[in-house]
Amino acid sequence: MRRTRAASLVAVTAVATLLLAACGGGGGNAGGEGGGGAADQTSQGGILAECGDNPLDCNSVPADQLQQGGQITVALEKNIDNWFLISSEGNTSPQSNAIHPMLPYTYSTLPDLSLALNEDVFVSGEQTNTNPQTIEFKIKPEAVWNDGTPVSAQDFIYNWKYQDGKTCPSCRPATTAGYDQIASIVGSDGDKTVTVTFAQPYTDWKNLWSAGSPMYPAHIAAQQGDINTEAGLVAAEAYFGTTTPTYSAGPYQVENWQPETALTTVPNPQWYGADKPKLDRIVYRIITDATQEPIALQNDEVQVIFPQPQVDLVQQVAQIPGVSQQQSLGLSWEHIDFNADNPALTTPLRQALAAATPVQEMIDKTVGQFNDEVTPLKSSVLLPGLDGYQDNVGDTGLGSGDIEKAKKILTDAGYTGVGTALVDPNGQPVPTMRMRYTVGNAIRQTQSEIFVAAAKQLGVTFEIQTTDDLGGTLDAYDYDAIVFAYISSPFPFGNAQQEYTSTSASNYVRFKDPEADRLLAEAASSTDQADALTKLNEVDKKILAAAATIPLYQKPTYLAIKDNIANARDNASLDSPTYNIAQWGLRNG
Amino acid sequence: MLAFTLRRIVVSIPILLLSSFIVFVLVSTSGDPLEPLKVRQPPVPQQTLDAEAERLWLNDPLLARYVRWLGGLFQGDFGPSVISTQDIGDQIGTRFFVTLRLIALAMIIALVLAVIVGVVSAVKQYSITDYTATFVGFLFLSMPAFWLAILLKQAGIEFNLAVGDSVIYTIGEATPNFQGTFWERVADVAGHMVLPTISLALISYAAWSRYQRASMLEVMNADYIRLARAKGVPRRTVMVRHGLRNALIPLTTVTALDLASIISGAVVTERVFQWHGMGEFLLDSIATADVYATMAWLLVTAVVVILFNLIADLLYAVLDPRIRYA
Repeated sequence: MRRTRAASLVAVTAVATLLLAACGGGGGNAGGEGGGGAADQTSQGGILAECGDNPLDCNSVPADQLQQGGQITVALEKNIDNWFLISSEGNTSPQSNAIHPMLPYTYSTLPDLSLALNEDVFVSGEQTNTNPQTIEFKIKPEAVWNDGTPVSAQDFIYNWKYQDGKTCPSCRPATTAGYDQIASIVGSDGDKTVTVTFAQPYTDWKNLWSAGSPMYPAHIAAQQGDINTEAGLVAAEAYFGTTTPTYSAGPYQVENWQPETALTTVPNPQWYGADKPKLDRIVYRIITDATQEPIALQNDEVQVIFPQPQVDLVQQVAQIPGVSQQQSLGLSWEHIDFNADNPALTTPLRQALAAATPVQEMIDKTVGQFNDEVTPLKSSVLLPGLDGYQDNVGDTGLGSGDIEKAKKILTDAGYTGVGTALVDPNGQPVPTMRMRYTVGNAIRQTQSEIFVAAAKQLGVTFEIQTTDDLGGTLDAYDYDAIVFAYISSPFPFGNAQQEYTSTSASNYVRFKDPEADRLLAEAASSTDQADALTKLNEVDKKILAAAATIPLYQKPTYLAIKDNIANARDNASLDSPTYNIAQWGLRNG
Repeated sequence: MLAFTLRRIVVSIPILLLSSFIVFVLVSTSGDPLEPLKVRQPPVPQQTLDAEAERLWLNDPLLARYVRWLGGLFQGDFGPSVISTQDIGDQIGTRFFVTLRLIALAMIIALVLAVIVGVVSAVKQYSITDYTATFVGFLFLSMPAFWLAILLKQAGIEFNLAVGDSVIYTIGEATPNFQGTFWERVADVAGHMVLPTISLALISYAAWSRYQRASMLEVMNADYIRLARAKGVPRRTVMVRHGLRNALIPLTTVTALDLASIISGAVVTERVFQWHGMGEFLLDSIATADVYATMAWLLVTAVVVILFNLIADLLYAVLDPRIRYA
């Protein structure tokens, strides 16, 4: 009897296990015949295969060959909590991806990270005078909001006043950089020519009213109060933040918003741009858990996703038939900062630690597992693809993992106990220091461990400590070394000044060099971009020579789309793959 | 019984106050709600940081903030959220019903299944039925909720492929902007409910069926059951009237506590299936150091726990007339 029961139990177990295996195994056999080439962990495949060589035109299909109508659903990783992109709360990437294509903007960043004037709205946008710096934008006569109101100089003026940091001290703009240097904005030719005059030159002027901080309609803002006053600007801020837009000056406009669920957009009948929308609808579906996006893509609940790439995600998408994926190197870059305020972290010690740090190994053990195009970064102010990027690491050995070179730097500087227990030239033992990273970030944990192991070989002990408050930790300079990411942009001058000027609170490396301060100030307030880039690179060489920071690598961005979608491609900048949404469509057949 | 009920409610008030203060201190000191702004590039202007600090009462001492929050509660104000456009009261109300909608059917299925399987397992102890039920119970008991959900999603996709149509959905409560007849709409909603309902039901069923089996076995071996059988009372009557009724008492306690915790947020299921209920609200609130949103969640949860404990106590009297509350 007992044998019978035992046999039954085994049989039941076996059947249930088989059922379970059948249940879970289905997706794995789905194939790989779809576009995605990521099974071998290459960066792109399928209809996006050419994007590496041809980032601007890959997956292109002429409009007349596209299907008329249809719907594309795009996954959006965050609920739209605030519609006002130029406020601190609204200025987040997922919100911008959906909203910015509906607003007029001056310049945008293309997939090759170059800047382009928004030619749907503007005839031109140029610097017409250097002293005082003067920029002139000519708006197309046909550019209108969807209620028929012309896009005009008034829109420039309203958006400037909100962000100038003076007219509305109680407003909460995302940034005032550059807007606070404008002396005047004058409209002419029926407000279709906009003349912007700066009190002080601003090198990054193309960043003003760009796709990252697009313009909101002044005539609607004026309905909330007098936009020349603080009260009026605060009222308009509240209105734009909380009200689902009915306004649009882009190719699509909002049809419907279901909080936490989906934003539905339809073609704007007043759209004046060259590319007329071919789709009936673009739906932005809120999926706040990136790991669920591939499954939704497989089940055709969404057709476009662009989450942060992870090994599992890339491999999972590669198994979905009829889906192509692409990775690009983005504007977010990892780096290890040293706190130069710590007297133990002398320049030679920082140089030695930087030389001992094996950046390539860090890449291989983290992002290199799903992207073989990531390489060590050679600049702390510019990224590959941006104008002016060059290798400023040179023969410093920074990031090379060359332990012998690192030891020689220390020995030459008078350190003893190299490789065992380091003692500085004054005979003081180098104390144990702290390497910090954000809690829960596995990639940074690995980077920290590799860094600490390299330091150990020099006789320096670092303890790894996590932080659950990166902002607070940075603000308090509560670290000896710390790994985190910066987001660069094609407008690098303001950022560099914030990050490396001696007196800046955001100078987290505590790099202090009066000559560098002067160069940074000149670079940020220049009317000659080429000269500004030269100065920026001079500063970069000083920063890297002093080993104030170790630039690691650019983080990859990611796009996966159904193969029937045309004209969609990755854009690694903050302007995202939706930068050309007017051109998106479905292939015929 | 009324006096008992009132006494339980009054006793719960100081517990609620103490727990709210502890959680307030813990959440307030565990993160900086302005951190995302402080690390942003280009840097957010100081005027924005100052305005946000003022709006979130961060310039006040901790105790003053707690007292201000407590005072606001009596006027229906849950305090300012990190998301300035978010009304915490509205959010809690909406999300509470989302979670209720998510779990209602699942809990009924789980409870009915657990009682039936538990009783059958106990009555047919050591039979192939019992072994099967035991295996299935332990299987789902040991299976991580997110993994079960992913398996179900894959099964749903395979089903769709097999029938050549989108019948089962993996995210959300309904298809946005769904156009169709009433019955098509019902089918769409049902298609979105299938997977999370099965997922939740299986997880809860697994534990409850084990409780029910153990409880039923204990009761069926009691002297009064043997006596009833010896007196010639039909087996079915003995099992249902004497056995099952008594065996339901422990399950009532367990179910009440479990339901309270699930209503507070089926965290994993909501996340995986993208239902925006109480669980997701808690996770988001903690992640953004949104103190007052977390406090609102705590309040609702505490009330639900107290309420369900009370219901469980009252149900004892219904199930066992010997139990009376003074």
